[in-house]
Amino acid sequence: MRNSGAVLILTFIAKLISQAAGVSPPGKPRLTSCRSPEKETFTCWWEPGDDGGLPTTYALYYRLENSETVYECPDYRTAGENSCFFNKNDTSLWVNYNITVVATNALGKNISDPVEVDVVYIVQPNTPENVTAVVVHDDQGPFVRVSWEKPRTADTRSGWITLLYQLRVKQEKDKEWEEYDAGMQKYYNVFSLHPDKEYMVQVRCKPDHGFWSKWTQTTYVKMPNYIPRERSLWIMITIFSVFIVLILTWTLNVKRKSVKLCLLPPVPGPKIKGFDKQLLKSGKSEEVFNSLVIKGFPPTTDYVDLMVEYLEVYDNEEQELVLDGKDLSEDCMKSKSLSDSDSGRGSCDSRTLLLEKCMEGREGSGSDRHQYSQHGETSWASSESSESQGPEPGSPESTDGRVKTWPVVFSSPQPQPHHHYQNGAVKPAYHSVPEILSHLSPLATPSNYHQLPPQQEGRFSKPACRHSQSYNQFNLDGVNPPVPGVSQSHSLEYVEVQTVDPQNMLLLRPLSDPNREPEGSDYAGEDYSRVKEVTSNNILLLQREMSHQCMNDYNQDLDSQADQCTTQQPPHPCKPAIHQLNSGMPQEVMRVMGNGYVDSTVLMPTY
Amino acid sequence: MINIQAVKSANEHLLLSSYCPEVLQVCVAFVLCSPQAVTGSPVDCPDQDTAGTSCTISLEKLLERAVQHAELIYRVSEESKLLFDEMLISFGMNLHVPEGTMCAPKTVPVPMSKSEIQQISDKWILHSVLILAQFWIDPLVDVQTSLENYENAPSALVNRSKWMSSKLMSLEQGILVLSRQILGEGGLALEVPEETPERFVSSSSFETVRRDYSAIYCFRKDAHKMQTFLKLLKCRQIDKENCTFF
Repeated sequence: MRNSGAVLILTFIAKLISQAAGVSPPGKPRLTSCRSPEKETFTCWWEPGDDGGLPTTYALYYRLENSETVYECPDYRTAGENSCFFNKNDTSLWVNYNITVVATNALGKNISDPVEVDVVYIVQPNTPENVTAVVVHDDQGPFVRVSWEKPRTADTRSGWITLLYQLRVKQEKDKEWEEYDAGMQKYYNVFSLHPDKEYMVQVRCKPDHGFWSKWTQTTYVKMPNYIPRERSLWIMITIFSVFIVLILTWTLNVKRKSVKLCLLPPVPGPKIKGFDKQLLKSGKSEEVFNSLVIKGFPPTTDYVDLMVEYLEVYDNEEQELVLDGKDLSEDCMKSKSLSDSDSGRGSCDSRTLLLEKCMEGREGSGSDRHQYSQHGETSWASSESSESQGPEPGSPESTDGRVKTWPVVFSSPQPQPHHHYQNGAVKPAYHSVPEILSHLSPLATPSNYHQLPPQQEGRFSKPACRHSQSYNQFNLDGVNPPVPGVSQSHSLEYVEVQTVDPQNMLLLRPLSDPNREPEGSDYAGEDYSRVKEVTSNNILLLQREMSHQCMNDYNQDLDSQADQCTTQQPPHPCKPAIHQLNSGMPQEVMRVMGNGYVDSTVLMPTY
Repeated sequence: MINIQAVKSANEHLLLSSYCPEVLQVCVAFVLCSPQAVTGSPVDCPDQDTAGTSCTISLEKLLERAVQHAELIYRVSEESKLLFDEMLISFGMNLHVPEGTMCAPKTVPVPMSKSEIQQISDKWILHSVLILAQFWIDPLVDVQTSLENYENAPSALVNRSKWMSSKLMSLEQGILVLSRQILGEGGLALEVPEETPERFVSSSSFETVRRDYSAIYCFRKDAHKMQTFLKLLKCRQIDKENCTFF
């Protein structure tokens, strides 16, 4: 007991002393790797641990797989420091080696962890040898042929080891290597290297099952300065195309003018009569467009006359369908001065309207009569031609001797102060007429289109219905002094101009006549009225072949039927026949018909 | 006695396998897809007069094909081992190669080093290869059946084990043909294996796994042996001058 205790105490003191002195048993060594370069020998390296301050010795022991015999490393020197080399005799293949390293110093020893090694699987060959890189000149261009030899120790000839090779290439300045696998062959051709550059080449190898060897030393190769064929081809193509382009440019330059003419044909100037380009360029559009304005167009003065919209359709005395009351009132004021721009029916209607409405202001406006007559003449003249063709709305055409619906405008180019009527006159006229027509149809009073003697004017002063075209006077020869009597026929029937007789008499027939025939029908007698003359007020003076009684009847009828304005014709011979002048009617022959109803609507173009 | 038909089929097997390129994947795929891995079919001989006897393939080609066969088998075995390792990791088993006798020693000593191999004769090389091939046919079949019982065995592993067992049989047949050609008739004194290798009766799944792993592990080594032997043999037979190193 005392001894053991003494031993313990001594050991404890020894440890303390050793620790104070800095010595200790060695640290644990560690086997780092074992490698076989040719699968015939192998070497193991270890890493020593802390030596503990004392000289330490290392020993490597190994044991084969199937036996318990422990052997020590046969050769510590060949492979260098801290290594063990197994020569051929000591190397067994396909057998696991159990290897350990023991570190020993004065104070103790330490054993490393065991490592199982099978030589077959730790093969790492030496680097290939004699790496050469030469430039080979070829038709396609120069390339580099790299060749090498196997590591000396590897026995590939007998097939003991099968080596696979790999090489890599890069320029000095490149970061990445370009790697190529060469398989089992000992040469390789490297293409697509840039001319006039220096390249670095390295080679390594590996057994078919094992580790890669280290890379060989760098071999340098310099590419010659050559122009790749493709690049030279491209250069030639570029030069050729540039040449062609130059030639083309020069040719175009020479033929400048013709090319310009071809590519940019001159823009034709405006061919508007009266259009002055210089004025346009000067920037004064007003003047330019003013020059375009044809005097007298659009027919401003005659708008009043063309005011079909001023038709007043009366149902009864109280009712007044003022189509365009505003204009009408204005128009009344200026009715005197306005010529009857009559498109046939429209002017007739308007005339009646005007005359009727402006009864008050009528007196004393004789000065305008000339104008009226003048315009009316032409307007009536135009109305005749309306049979032949339907005049387009708003398309005044000057006619000479031909009757058109909008003739007057040009014939009397006096600037009229009634420009404002222009717009209003045209449009409502044509639109409202049908309404008027329908409205007027009930009115069958023959007195619509009668130009009553002025003395009878008063009778018509209170027309219930609007009358239209009561005053159509067709007289192509001349203008008779207008009968101021506004034969305000209260009936609202349209008359259809059927024929024009040689005496320039328009044969009319009532429009509302259901039995009317387009042409050729002889309504001699009661249905047709003979136009006697056209007054200055653009009133058609129709002849009454009937007896006075008819007239009276008419009057009576008119009065009695003031409310109706129906187209039903009272069954008496004096009944005016209203015929619509169809545009399709042959206009060569017009027969004078009985009563004096003229359907101015006939003259209107069918819209 | 050697069965002529078996020899013919062995030739054909070697023929088929020799067409495989060195690339393992393509080869394995081709081989695995080929339906005639195991069953034999008549061989198309260029110079065919009578059934069997005059149909010969040159020694060179035979050796070449044998070497390719062995190389392929070795690569597949290496892949199988890696797959098995992955599977073990996924199982959570840290199955380190146990110390001790993991790979059963063969009844016939097989050369262990190059120096030994240099000294042995061609006959001995052939003999060794044959022994190895015959030794491993049955264990591989066992491993294959055992792997199929696993829960999550990767199909690649199972396929490879199947392939290896079948190819090994072809190789065995090829070796027999080679020995006939090199050593002549009856040159190879076949030793019937005394007894079949002991079969493990696994008691637990762990033991089963361990057994399978050791089988693949050891087969990998032996496949490498076979490959090396056949390469040496090829060199000796074809290029006698350069192989005087041995």
